[in-house]
Amino acid sequence: MKPSLAATIRERVQRIKTMPAIPAVFLPLLKLLAREEVQVDEVVRLVSYDSAIAAQCLRVASSPLFGMAQPPKSIKGAVMSLGLRRVETILLTCCLGQAFPAKKWALDPIVFWRHSLGCAMVCRKISEKLASADREKAYTAGLMHDIGFMVNCLVFSKEFAPVMERACREGIPLHEVEQETMGFTHSDTGRALAEKWGLADDIIEVISHHHGVEDSQAAQPLVALVHISDLLCRMRGMDYGYYERHRVDLIADPAWAILHKEYHDLEGVDLVQFTFELDEAVEDIHTLVSMVFGSAPGRP
Amino acid sequence: MTINLQPVMTPPLAHAGGEGVDPVYRQIRDLVYKVSGIYKAEEKLYLLTDGCGRRMKQVGVRTLREYWDRLTARPDRDAELRQLLNEVTTGETCLFRSQPQLDALRKVILPELEAQKTKQITRRLRIWSAGCSTGEESYTLAMNLLEESERLLQGWTIEILATDLNDRSVETAKAGIYGGYALRNTTDYYKRKYFTVVDEKKLQVRPEARKLVTFSRLNLQDDSKMLFMKGMDVIFCCNVLIYFDAASKSKVINHFFSNLNFGGYFFLGTSESLMRLNDQFHLVHFPGTIAYWKPSLSSGKL
Repeated sequence: MKPSLAATIRERVQRIKTMPAIPAVFLPLLKLLAREEVQVDEVVRLVSYDSAIAAQCLRVASSPLFGMAQPPKSIKGAVMSLGLRRVETILLTCCLGQAFPAKKWALDPIVFWRHSLGCAMVCRKISEKLASADREKAYTAGLMHDIGFMVNCLVFSKEFAPVMERACREGIPLHEVEQETMGFTHSDTGRALAEKWGLADDIIEVISHHHGVEDSQAAQPLVALVHISDLLCRMRGMDYGYYERHRVDLIADPAWAILHKEYHDLEGVDLVQFTFELDEAVEDIHTLVSMVFGSAPGRP
Repeated sequence: MTINLQPVMTPPLAHAGGEGVDPVYRQIRDLVYKVSGIYKAEEKLYLLTDGCGRRMKQVGVRTLREYWDRLTARPDRDAELRQLLNEVTTGETCLFRSQPQLDALRKVILPELEAQKTKQITRRLRIWSAGCSTGEESYTLAMNLLEESERLLQGWTIEILATDLNDRSVETAKAGIYGGYALRNTTDYYKRKYFTVVDEKKLQVRPEARKLVTFSRLNLQDDSKMLFMKGMDVIFCCNVLIYFDAASKSKVINHFFSNLNFGGYFFLGTSESLMRLNDQFHLVHFPGTIAYWKPSLSSGKL
């Protein structure tokens, strides 16, 4: 990408401060989550400013995907049962659902969120198989990996609409059409937003390189995990709403080798069995998406 | 088919015990396993007992011991064993059973094969429907390929080989007549284009689709016959290997691997997997389905 293009992206992303629907707790929450040590009370206090987010968080916590049979009565209660970090990821999910005004969506936002939340869940499910992986970090990375897609919708809508249209028509991966047509991809625009928001470095790495894992300098295993999960989602019904005409060979993908080098227990994962397990979670993801994102303001 | 009736091989029992089952059933089960590789786990023994019951009624024997003699001591024992195999291998299926597999074939695999073969003088596509049962999958493939022969595969020679162990199924398949249950996934478009009406409940596949498919009886455990099934571009073997134990499965899969051309694909049923029975195939994902790919020579991954 030309430096002038990078400057254009940064400049246009800087102007996104006018997002009307972004919950007030969102950015402080992001800052909080970027820290190593967080106190329960800090999160509870922050969320108490936004009762709508708090209520939604409690509903989401009772989804089968998060594993609570009964909806918790309070944020503190949810933290006691699920752990602080799990509740943080739920809060993040709820906030992100409201962060985009979505007037200019290039596809049904429900489809987009199914992919993002699906990817978050797949990242965590793979991490659960790998003893030393950080599950909540994996979830967050999966959830955020495609935020550049929304940036494209918001500030590059004129350039992006025909890109999306051609990708759908020809069944080509989106980032390939973006690169060919616009000279940059949602990884580049996502990076600009992630930097503006001050997201953690490893999440920025994921957003920037999930389509080119080998270009990643730091946090390669996390980037590889998101890359694999993204592909799996696109092959198992949590796609961008169109048929991608290609074969995906995950085990021959360089990302698989990177992940395997970091986590030797990947060896024991039966990929076919895992794929079938994912299929069982797809319906839960759909339910959760309508719960969190179905009422996003400005939805067409 | 020749059967060696010397002492029954080590029983491939999944679970010990199973009290209350006549031990002759286990002898029969082991015999069936030996000739066909079909492995009836203890919890599936009832499938065999049902099948034996029906055969005993047909041939008019009253005790299981007598039936065992029919299967092993009489001159026509091979014929009876074949009848029993017919009883225990009838599967329930329908046309257009897996749309994601058909999409993968038409949208990804055929364009890929077309590109590979474009330089060859005779452009030929060979597809094998292994364990074709009563022909539903085979004709589904025929109709989909006929659709493509109007576009991508213009001027191509298309061959579908369809085989099954069950010769009764093969005979039914040749007729190509199906009722409402088998046709439940078939759209009006295909019904109008590729079927003729037999009566108010049944449709028959039109000759142009039927002539694409060659049906024959084949035992996947028959090594000498398997060696002849060469030059396949795609093999479908859906919900067949579930009857096999690991050893027989692995043998059949190795055959499939050598039966395929380089760059060819192998499909299993939607909930089946090769597990770790073969490490030469690459597991690949297509939207909504998985398959196994025999790497092409140029990919350098063999």
